[in-house]
Amino acid sequence: MNFFPSNLQRRRRAQCAALACAAAIMLVPANLLPVLRTNLSGRVRTDTIFSGIVGLCEDGNWAIGAIVFVASILIPALKLVGLATLLFATRRGAPAHAHGLTRLFALLDFIGRWSMLDVFLAGFLAGVVRFGALANIEPRSGIAAFAAAVVLTVLATATFDPRSLWPAAAERLAA
Amino acid sequence: MLPSQTPLSFPAAPVRLTCRLCGCGHDTIALARGERASCARCGALLAARSRFDTDAPLAFALTGLLLAYPAFTLPLVKVAKFGSARDGLVLTGVAALWRHDMRLLAVWVLFCGALAPLALLVVLGGLLAPSRFALPWRTGASWWRAARALDHWAMPEVQVLAVLVALFKLGRLVNVSLQTGFWCYAAMAAMILLAWRTCEFAPRPAADVRAGKLT
Repeated sequence: MNFFPSNLQRRRRAQCAALACAAAIMLVPANLLPVLRTNLSGRVRTDTIFSGIVGLCEDGNWAIGAIVFVASILIPALKLVGLATLLFATRRGAPAHAHGLTRLFALLDFIGRWSMLDVFLAGFLAGVVRFGALANIEPRSGIAAFAAAVVLTVLATATFDPRSLWPAAAERLAA
Repeated sequence: MLPSQTPLSFPAAPVRLTCRLCGCGHDTIALARGERASCARCGALLAARSRFDTDAPLAFALTGLLLAYPAFTLPLVKVAKFGSARDGLVLTGVAALWRHDMRLLAVWVLFCGALAPLALLVVLGGLLAPSRFALPWRTGASWWRAARALDHWAMPEVQVLAVLVALFKLGRLVNVSLQTGFWCYAAMAAMILLAWRTCEFAPRPAADVRAGKLT
């Protein structure tokens, strides 16, 4: 096994790229498949992540809809774009804007956990609304795909080594 | 930037702290209460001295552990429909996912919402209690690494937000009200955040830093 830093960093970048690609793939079924099935006195409704947000807004819960939109759609998308930016920037050594990219990495690392909101929400709703034919909520396969996408993006961020953004800057500082 | 007016705290040997974001090495210094030391290169927080007393992280961790029991055993919400009522606990969602054959997801939710927060509190207690109570055993860098790993996956604050969102979502379907368990769980989540934030960047024991275990 080769333990030279450059090879190690290259391997970690490859792992990060693979995990980010897998997350992007999982986000497709996560957004297309239903995440919840609601049965209210015989009226059955299946919701995807997006239609659930639209439903919240239609009921007048704009602030809650906005929170779920940010956690379930904006953050996963932002994480994938951010990871792609970091990977692209470090493909040929350390980039010029290391300071800004390091802040971007710190932001991605911080926001990642909030995407789990929809997973906790779906489980909790399915657990408490169990009144037989009167009212019933069941989780659907979309939520499993979404959880997988969230875990993969968190792992991708954890795999990326932010120190790979800096060697060139270190040389400049030394000079 | 590292404040230069304060004296070095570990003068016996040249000690280096490495920034986890950019890899830049720094000499360790003593920090006054409320003072923070940032990386000279990337600006990331390297170390911070809490405004609270040095016993505060342990107090937060022990309070969190005390709150954990009611948080996990008392209902978070009560849901009622046509005279029939149900209690929703932290583990209710886990059981629902398990029942619908999403067992891996159920285990994952259990881990992030219950096991990891609880384990983080135990690890923090194990890290901080020996020196405070002069216990004969010591925990080292491996416990810090475990705490960092657990903090990555412990998400009680996300669970709290999920319950609040569920409250609004359920409002038009059923009668729903918050119960004591929710406030205990939310307080436990706050204690975890306070305990971890007040000790994550706290100055480490000199022996551990000199041994090069903590970077």
